[in-house]
Amino acid sequence: MISDITFGQYFPCNSVLHKMDPRVKFIIMLASIVFLFLVKSSFALGLVALFVIISIIASKIPLKLYVKNLKAILPIIILTAIINSLYINDGRLLFSWWIFNITVGGISRALFMAVRIALLIFISATLTYTTTPNDLTDGIESLCTPLKFLGLGSLIHILTMMMTIALRFIPTLVEETQKIINAQKARGADIENGGIVSRVKALVPILIPLIILSVRRAYDLAEAMECRCYNGGIGKQRMKKFKIRYFDILALILTTIFGTGVVLLNIFMR
Amino acid sequence: MPILEVKNLSYVYSPGTPFKHEALKDVSFAIEKGEIIGIIGHTGSGKSTLLQLLNGLLKPTEGNIFLNGKDIWDEPKKINEIRFKIGLVFQYPEYQLFEETVESDIAFGPKNMGLSNAEITNRISNSVNIVKLNEELLKKSPFDLSGGEKRRAAIAGIMAMQPELIVFDEPTAGLDPIGRETVLNAILDYRNNNNATVIIVSHSMEDMALICNKIIVLNDGELLMHDTVKNVFKNADVLKNIGLSVPHITNVLLKLNDMGIDIPTDIFDVSQASSAILNIVSGGNRK
Repeated sequence: MISDITFGQYFPCNSVLHKMDPRVKFIIMLASIVFLFLVKSSFALGLVALFVIISIIASKIPLKLYVKNLKAILPIIILTAIINSLYINDGRLLFSWWIFNITVGGISRALFMAVRIALLIFISATLTYTTTPNDLTDGIESLCTPLKFLGLGSLIHILTMMMTIALRFIPTLVEETQKIINAQKARGADIENGGIVSRVKALVPILIPLIILSVRRAYDLAEAMECRCYNGGIGKQRMKKFKIRYFDILALILTTIFGTGVVLLNIFMR
Repeated sequence: MPILEVKNLSYVYSPGTPFKHEALKDVSFAIEKGEIIGIIGHTGSGKSTLLQLLNGLLKPTEGNIFLNGKDIWDEPKKINEIRFKIGLVFQYPEYQLFEETVESDIAFGPKNMGLSNAEITNRISNSVNIVKLNEELLKKSPFDLSGGEKRRAAIAGIMAMQPELIVFDEPTAGLDPIGRETVLNAILDYRNNNNATVIIVSHSMEDMALICNKIIVLNDGELLMHDTVKNVFKNADVLKNIGLSVPHITNVLLKLNDMGIDIPTDIFDVSQASSAILNIVSGGNRK
């Protein structure tokens, strides 16, 4: 169902991860994604998985929510796994039919890719679950401060403001979509059954009200922002200043250790 | 046999998660054909959940809903047919208007029912008549209509399906006095023309007093009262305790009563109240 999409949703909880500086969290997320793509062996992948598991536990967010996120992307994972297992033909042959050959190497490669995508989802979910959209984009803006010296200050502000708004309105749009679906279902719209053509057609009565509502909402929001003298961030000051605390440093050290571990495993355990 | 019977209905949102929320708890009631039932309750009392359950948009966690003695979830594949029999009008027309013209938007429901073109045209003019929508507007885009016209176009869209039970969620909220009167009259006309049964959810006690026969009071997902308008509004204290109220004019009479004037307090419309007050003034019997 549409409400299963929890990606980009903040989940309030009282954990260390929630209290961490968003800038540090963002850097750690980027770093762990880089590790994930540096990984060459299953040992290194296991190490990244361990790192992700530690973050998930530290976030104190129910595992169910993470799994729900995974469900939405399951088709992509399965597709990648199938393609990988069909295209990689090394190791012992397990099964052969027509032009398809399934081998041990193919299967392990498929599993490897599936785990990698799943971890990727978990990493980004940890960040968005534990960080409010505002904190996240403020953090990104703050990280981009060096670019201000290149005269890109207002551009950065505009981009991050757009991101804040986009993230902020994901849950609103999901809710709105559900309401529209209900209203059209009440008039007998069948959106769950039928072939691909009728399903695509059934989207029209949902998408049109959604687009119109969003455009109207955008105008309302612009007006509300102007009423509060928003002028694109010129001279804007922050009420909340970010502060790096001891657990931020600890997290950075931990990330560095895991990163070094991944690199070492890549070199020595091939 | 009652047209609609709700038996031990319960609904739980996100069961088995930390977000678990019991929206309806063991609600039972029956509605006779031709009745106009009002449902009142504070925000979060389970009204919207009940409406969505009636229309088959949600499936009961426990309990059953019987339409003409038949469980609406008997054949889950045919739930669409139930939606044609129990029409649900949502509060905001913006969530349902999408076609190029008002006419084709009203036709959306009947088309989904698989009716013939002649029958659809017939039903459109019929329902447009009931909601007093100007025929000229039919060729316009629904997005060019005013707020009140949009609301009536949305109502006409449901009425064109000619459901035997029609459910309204806040049909008059945010309308000007004339718009409100038009909508209420449309509801009455529809019921009289089609021999239909009506359920209205509203926060306006005045509307309720004006057109309902009976009122259902929900509080925290439980059924608190199900009685005639008179009997429900008699309990002004109970209603106020759960964040509801009685019609304004009844409040005036209650206040007069508190001041020691012997005046009946089971009056819910202004003209009757004014004659009662005039009666007291001319008779002058103070307690």
